[in-house]
Amino acid sequence: MEKIHVTLTVNGDRIEADVPQFQTLLEMLRDTLELTGTKEGCGQGACGSCTVLLNGRPARSCILLAAEADGADVVTIEGLAEGERLHPLQESFMDKGAVQCGFCTPGMILTAKGLLDRNQNPSKTEIITSVSSNLCRCTGYKKIIEAVEATAAPSDAT
Amino acid sequence: MILPRFMYRKAVSIDEALALYKQSGSDALYLSGGTDLVPRVKLRLAKPAMLIDLKGITDLGTVEDENDWIRIGALSTITDLKENSIIKEYFPAFRASLEATSCESLRMRGTIGGNLLQNSRCLFYNQSEFWRKSKGFCLKMGGDKCNAVPGAKVCLANYASDNAPALLTLSAEIRLTGPDGQRQIPLADLYSGKAGKPFLLAPGEILTHILIPKRKTTGDYEKLRIRGAIDYPLLGVALSTFDGKSRFAVGAIGPKPNVFEVDSLDEQRLLEMVKDARQAARPAPNTVVDTAYRRDMIAILVHRLAGRATEEAK
Repeated sequence: MEKIHVTLTVNGDRIEADVPQFQTLLEMLRDTLELTGTKEGCGQGACGSCTVLLNGRPARSCILLAAEADGADVVTIEGLAEGERLHPLQESFMDKGAVQCGFCTPGMILTAKGLLDRNQNPSKTEIITSVSSNLCRCTGYKKIIEAVEATAAPSDAT
Repeated sequence: MILPRFMYRKAVSIDEALALYKQSGSDALYLSGGTDLVPRVKLRLAKPAMLIDLKGITDLGTVEDENDWIRIGALSTITDLKENSIIKEYFPAFRASLEATSCESLRMRGTIGGNLLQNSRCLFYNQSEFWRKSKGFCLKMGGDKCNAVPGAKVCLANYASDNAPALLTLSAEIRLTGPDGQRQIPLADLYSGKAGKPFLLAPGEILTHILIPKRKTTGDYEKLRIRGAIDYPLLGVALSTFDGKSRFAVGAIGPKPNVFEVDSLDEQRLLEMVKDARQAARPAPNTVVDTAYRRDMIAILVHRLAGRATEEAK
């Protein structure tokens, strides 16, 4: 079956590739671009582990075709740090101990980044609404919420 | 989970989408947000030769006035509609059902057209092909038995759109374009009442718009769910009131939502309405909670909505 030509931006780099028409964006990121920070959890769009930012909005890359991402701006967890310097959300997740097994963390951080990019000072309810899009089976939401709160308003953080 | 092989084509107009459908030999599915469709294809519940992406048809993503109607493009995302000021002001029941849909990330991707045309669901159907084969194919998969209710002669899958009940209370209509032209029908006429094939759509038809009479209503939506996010409804009840007349719609408890009109919200009328709704409901043991509980919750959700409406009217 013929492949389909796509051009997209991934973490600021322009990527051109011929992808199978039935390939998901997740498969392209992990298998072709070797960006394995994005995780596959349920594979059916329910859990949010595979969340990336697609044109600034969090999207589940396991139910998104690579072909659908043609022309899009994609940000994965690998795109957050600047060199050795971690993104404030990543620092905050470490400071607050918001990581247990770590499998949901990349998706959780990108969902949180999507929120903070739209709204620099979200209320606690808004944070809960956002991160409840992602499942954490260690059920460590309390610290995740604290980590996002601390990033949103660092002056209030202790 | 790997997708089966299919062709992907992106249409930039309805005509092009219809031409692609013809080109596929009528073996295509239309793709919008993909939040319902792609998981279905992954589970091999649908095996189309072609997916026709409609997202290139940009004029299907807007909300506009059309005479005495509000016309909503079927590709509008749930989030875009939730944030729309006209919907907030005129159709609070719809606003509430949009907010209750799934979770924030999926609301940003999923569309209203896709939400209405999501296929009916069952714990014994929305499973991998391997799982389903081991159990034996059920009525909805073309088999001859029901895996949820042994002995059942018809499919009992659940239609779990949050937004359909709200739109039904608002007397919404839908516009469809297919190989044989365009038609507009009441949303209520979309439903076959048969869970195996829940929609009365002609092959190749595209849902292009949802139209709601433009008049200020009051109302709300109540959803029975286990978690506060992501879940499909286990029961959904919407209420809209306009000009002294109230309409309830009860959904996610059978193959289609049912509408009940009442001329007042006093207790006697509500009890009669609940009795009718319980009778029309078709709950089956195919969700994560007990059927009797779901049926009993109709009265609770109806009274919650009516209580709030009466309080607000004071």
